[in-house]
Amino acid sequence: MTKFVIRYIITLLLLIPAQAIIFNHLVLFDVAVPLVFIYLIVMLPVTIGTNVSMLVAFAAGLLLDVFCDTPGVNALCATVLSFARKPIFHLYVSTDDDLAARPPSSLSMGHTVFMKYLLSMVVAYCTMYFTVEAFQFFNFRLLVLRILASSLYTFILLYALDCISMRMHKD
Amino acid sequence: MSELIAFLARHSKWFVFTLLVAISITLLVRNDPYRQHLYLTSAGRLASSAYKGANNVTSYFNLHDINEDLNRQNAQLQAQVAELTHTIEVLREQGYSDTMQVEKDVPQFKFTVAHVISNSVARPFNYITINKGSDDGIRPELGVIDRNGVVGIVSNVGPSSARVISLLNPHFRLSCKLKSTDYFGSLVWDGRRPDQAVLEELPRHTVFEAGDTIVTSGYSSVFPPGIPVGIVLEDDTDHNQNFFALRVRLLTDFTTLGNVQVIENTMSDELKALRAGEENDSKKNPFGN
Repeated sequence: MTKFVIRYIITLLLLIPAQAIIFNHLVLFDVAVPLVFIYLIVMLPVTIGTNVSMLVAFAAGLLLDVFCDTPGVNALCATVLSFARKPIFHLYVSTDDDLAARPPSSLSMGHTVFMKYLLSMVVAYCTMYFTVEAFQFFNFRLLVLRILASSLYTFILLYALDCISMRMHKD
Repeated sequence: MSELIAFLARHSKWFVFTLLVAISITLLVRNDPYRQHLYLTSAGRLASSAYKGANNVTSYFNLHDINEDLNRQNAQLQAQVAELTHTIEVLREQGYSDTMQVEKDVPQFKFTVAHVISNSVARPFNYITINKGSDDGIRPELGVIDRNGVVGIVSNVGPSSARVISLLNPHFRLSCKLKSTDYFGSLVWDGRRPDQAVLEELPRHTVFEAGDTIVTSGYSSVFPPGIPVGIVLEDDTDHNQNFFALRVRLLTDFTTLGNVQVIENTMSDELKALRAGEENDSKKNPFGN
């Protein structure tokens, strides 16, 4: 557990500045933004209490908001996603399965199940994020395009990140 | 009592969820760019330090484009210097220099060079962070330009950094005019493309052509008149409306912003006081009799 906490803190300290300084600028075709920061919510074991995971997600979201001048947007979406994380996880993994105790990854869940879980989390976050962000500035076609393109882009990057991280973990 | 505590413990996740969502929504709703706490913006110490560190590396990437723009601007300035030198010589020859009274005014606008350390173009509300703050004389509501045109307006200021509301942010409306005809309107970003905006509220009788230059009108105390903003794209306006809305290609390339200049109008306090006086007069006597 201590090992996981240290790994999690390092990932948090790397991912938030990386999201603000690097990934926010890797925009494809003016619509697709990779929101890789949600890996912080995806990688939390489901057995961790919902309160703890919501507080961690809220703090991480708020920190990213400070960097990105989006007050409340990431904090809100991260809180809601961490609240919905357990039901989303149990769409693909049964409640009595011992998989729930380990951090979700392609190594612990298998590639197919992890991909389904990751895609659901990414689509849920991108839908919330772009809807909240576009609340005062509504253009339905652009909104749908942003959600779909960003979900796909984020999913590919996060899956690659998970594969690299798991390979390092195995070594 | 113990039942109440047990009830609260059982449903604690709902209370925590509601509390965190309420805090987030409060931050979202109070999204006035001028009234945010400094530490909740990118001009705060934590974010600006991280951006400055990253900028030390990334600032070299766009040097080629910046160099080309500077060469172009240098050529234009040299041409302008030559033209002005010629004008001065002509005036001297006409013998006006002996009789003309040269006004020794304080310059109305002061310029401070700053570097962009953070910038976004893909969001519905974009902001820029610069590496100069209150220690360098920067304060809110100062205009920001780069070598090509208008960039934005300062909103929050920290000791060594400041946050700028980009022109690519619908919170910012800029008073502009057509350079050729002096008809003026209000420029606002419509969120579609980072290289285009819309010039609204132009009177119906405005005469214009695609390719006309849009410049600042100078009607606000923030920007001097005549700073380039954009070029009119094709005329796709509905001519039955009372006001035109023209699509404008912005001259500033927001994707490669590097060095910018913050403009301080030394007369802005005086102008504000005059306007406040005018507003008070019109409230006291709304019919002007």
